[in-house]
Amino acid sequence: MRQPVPPLESSASADTVLAAEGLGKRYGGFVALADVSVAFTRGRLTAIIGPNGAGKSTFFALLSGAATPSSGRIRLEGADIAGQAQFRFARMGIARSYQITSLFPELTAHENVRVACQAVHAPARRDLWRGRSHYRALVEEADAALAQVGLLARRSRPASRLAHGEQRALEIAVALAGRPKLLLLDEPTAGMSPEETKEMMDLIARLATERTVLLVEHKMKLVMGLAERIVVLHQGRLLASGSPDDIRVHPEVRRVYLGEGRSGRG
Amino acid sequence: MTSARSEAHEPTRAQRWRVPLVAAVLAVLPWIAPSQALAVNILIYGLYATGFNLLFGYMGLLSFGHAAFLGAGAYGAGIALARFGVGWFGAIAIGVAASGLLAVLIGALSIRSRGIYFSMVTLALAQLVYYVAFQAESWTGGENGLRGLTVSSLRIGPLSLNFLDPTIKYYVIFGFVTAALWAISRLLNSPFGATIEAIRENEGRAQACGYDVRRMKLMAFTLSGLVCGLAGALDALHLSIVPIDTLYYQTSGLAVMMALLGGAGTFLGPFVGAAIFLLIEDSFSLWTSHWQLFVGAIFILAVLFLPRGAWGTLVAWRADRRA
Amino acid sequence: MEIDLIAVQLFTGVALGAVFVLLSTGLSIIFGMLGVVNFAHGAFYMTGAYAGVFFLALTGNFWLALAAVPLLIGALGLGVERLLIRPLYGRGPDYPLLLTFGLGYVLVEIVRILFGTDGVPFETPALLSGGIDLGGLGYFPAYRLFVIAVTAVILLLLWLLLARTRYGLIIRAGARDPEILSILGIDIARVWLLVFGLGTGLAALAGLLAAPMRSVNPEMGVAVLVEAFVVTVIGGMGSLLGGAIAGMLVGIVVSLTALWMPEMSTISMFALMTLVLLIRPQGLFGRGLAR
Repeated sequence: MRQPVPPLESSASADTVLAAEGLGKRYGGFVALADVSVAFTRGRLTAIIGPNGAGKSTFFALLSGAATPSSGRIRLEGADIAGQAQFRFARMGIARSYQITSLFPELTAHENVRVACQAVHAPARRDLWRGRSHYRALVEEADAALAQVGLLARRSRPASRLAHGEQRALEIAVALAGRPKLLLLDEPTAGMSPEETKEMMDLIARLATERTVLLVEHKMKLVMGLAERIVVLHQGRLLASGSPDDIRVHPEVRRVYLGEGRSGRG
Repeated sequence: MTSARSEAHEPTRAQRWRVPLVAAVLAVLPWIAPSQALAVNILIYGLYATGFNLLFGYMGLLSFGHAAFLGAGAYGAGIALARFGVGWFGAIAIGVAASGLLAVLIGALSIRSRGIYFSMVTLALAQLVYYVAFQAESWTGGENGLRGLTVSSLRIGPLSLNFLDPTIKYYVIFGFVTAALWAISRLLNSPFGATIEAIRENEGRAQACGYDVRRMKLMAFTLSGLVCGLAGALDALHLSIVPIDTLYYQTSGLAVMMALLGGAGTFLGPFVGAAIFLLIEDSFSLWTSHWQLFVGAIFILAVLFLPRGAWGTLVAWRADRRA
Repeated sequence: MEIDLIAVQLFTGVALGAVFVLLSTGLSIIFGMLGVVNFAHGAFYMTGAYAGVFFLALTGNFWLALAAVPLLIGALGLGVERLLIRPLYGRGPDYPLLLTFGLGYVLVEIVRILFGTDGVPFETPALLSGGIDLGGLGYFPAYRLFVIAVTAVILLLLWLLLARTRYGLIIRAGARDPEILSILGIDIARVWLLVFGLGTGLAALAGLLAAPMRSVNPEMGVAVLVEAFVVTVIGGMGSLLGGAIAGMLVGIVVSLTALWMPEMSTISMFALMTLVLLIRPQGLFGRGLAR
């Protein structure tokens, strides 16, 4: 099924954390994504944008291991990991957040994050006997992640009893757990008020200073000031990629995306 | 699932003391229960419901086939005793191992199906075990049950205990049950305990966080089967026979009822539920042979109005007051 | 000789399968619409058989019983949905399941109180007691032919109801997305009520039809509940066609196994289910992942 695709010299380099090579996904006869090659550079914030149906969700699902590509490769630090189970993606350092809040509702905020830290920590994950508090480092790591998103004061509260904005922040903290090599964020500002959106974007900007972040976003305006690099998808294909300034003047992008963006989308 | 709460990363005072607490209550149970027989049944069925609760309350998988594991433990121990003359301790070990093995098999098949399917598949596979035991008369005694496994004395090193003495019998079984509870409590406090709760709460996210959910489900299923197997082996020793009904649909339902009446997802709930159920049976069966009518009705009322169970409601109420 | 025997046994299997089909159809439409696995389904089946016993004793007329029993038990189902199950919607699928499990207990005990704990005989109606010679293949019991015919008619009616009427459209739409119905201003609670009544009525009909072929006792519902589950798992939940084919398949497999290995006949259906689970966990006709 998967055709061998040679690594693209132009896009991949030593600084590449993750690279998609000729990535495609078909559902029956429907082609959701075709031949997308992009490399994500270490320490950068890349935004993936595109109108509805552009293939953003599919691309995100493939990169996070939630779906298996029909063709192409996904290279994590050079190694092809396409086709592996989703939990292996997480263990290899690819963490994701969800567009629709997806937490462990009855667990406390702290447990939500700690359980996620534990998942990528093999000795703890396999332990059926020692107490949870035996793994001090995980407890501290979880609290550190909570502190980063400003939720430390809420650590003992069940996730289901947090306010909506707090739940969105916890969503990010869970993804931060275990210090992933790559953080995939799926429309983190979906359904947020303007103030909440502002706070979330500030948070992402702070996180991106020391991490590789990949952000899928519907609202183009939001990412223009934030992302160092922008990837534009359209109708399941890679339309353009480059710096925000390149994208802003890209004729194709202007035609398919900016035109729509002004007519009140997002 | 409306679980009353979850385990905290630092064991709370309640979590640290729950095993000593339940052990203390069970230690004096023969003196406060209406009868010694009832006290033994609370021990054994409390453990059985606790094993079931590991899967249902903590992982959110509603099995309707746990009779198979109680039965495998009972038949395993019984056959070892009656047919092979294995010692009592070895027989218990064989019973537990047999149910563990069966749990791996049934678990591997049934976790392929999800949600409501899971309940149906576990029920069907348990019924299969029932029919097989029914047919395999030369091993299991078929319809008449397995007989001839009376253990009259237990040798523990130089010591010889008279197992026919009800008090000694009670405390021997008490010893096993307490040890099992201690192990289960540790298990629930361990990272693994956190994992299964996370899977109960949100399977997809647990997978995305890096948990091999299927494998974890199978492990929880097997551990649950082992606990129920121990209960079954103890029951065989206690009764000196293994009735075929041990494997029947209603025995599976028993675990479900007990766990729910007491409080699924709480540590002590299943024991409380077992005590409630057995007390109802004990008192109603004195004046009517149709006591199951009342059990069924009370269960329906519990589902409607007290879904967290007696103990679970208490725990949730306390947690609410503190918050 | 051998061929005759196989033909007769095959036919027995189809008759048995017909009962399975009726059962699993009732189970399946309730699940498809309400998302409820009815653990009291076997108890409704048993109640149907006993209601038949009662009507037969009262009137001596099998045909009257055949008409009255599904209506009566269907009405009982309406009451159960309205009073017991409705308060549980929105609490997750486990609670209705648990409730119907408890209801099964209660129904069995009520029948024990009214009719005793032992089984009762159920005579084949005189008109259908003989055998019919089918093209020299052998004598087939007329009653079993009748059961097959009734099942076929019921299935046809159900299909017409679902595929050709406004109600069917509502039911199918509601099974896919209950919200659509509320948007269209249709009283979804009423649809659920009627579907539950329909499902329990079908279970009762199956119980009544099975009564002369299988024994009538308060425990008859347990075995049949498991059989209905096995059929549903094999066919795939929520698929009428899948249920019908799987029901026939199970009936035939059980009957043919009885011919060669009688002691394995009850076990054979579980073997079939296990095989399906290994190869196609969502069932032969199930779509995608199981709910």
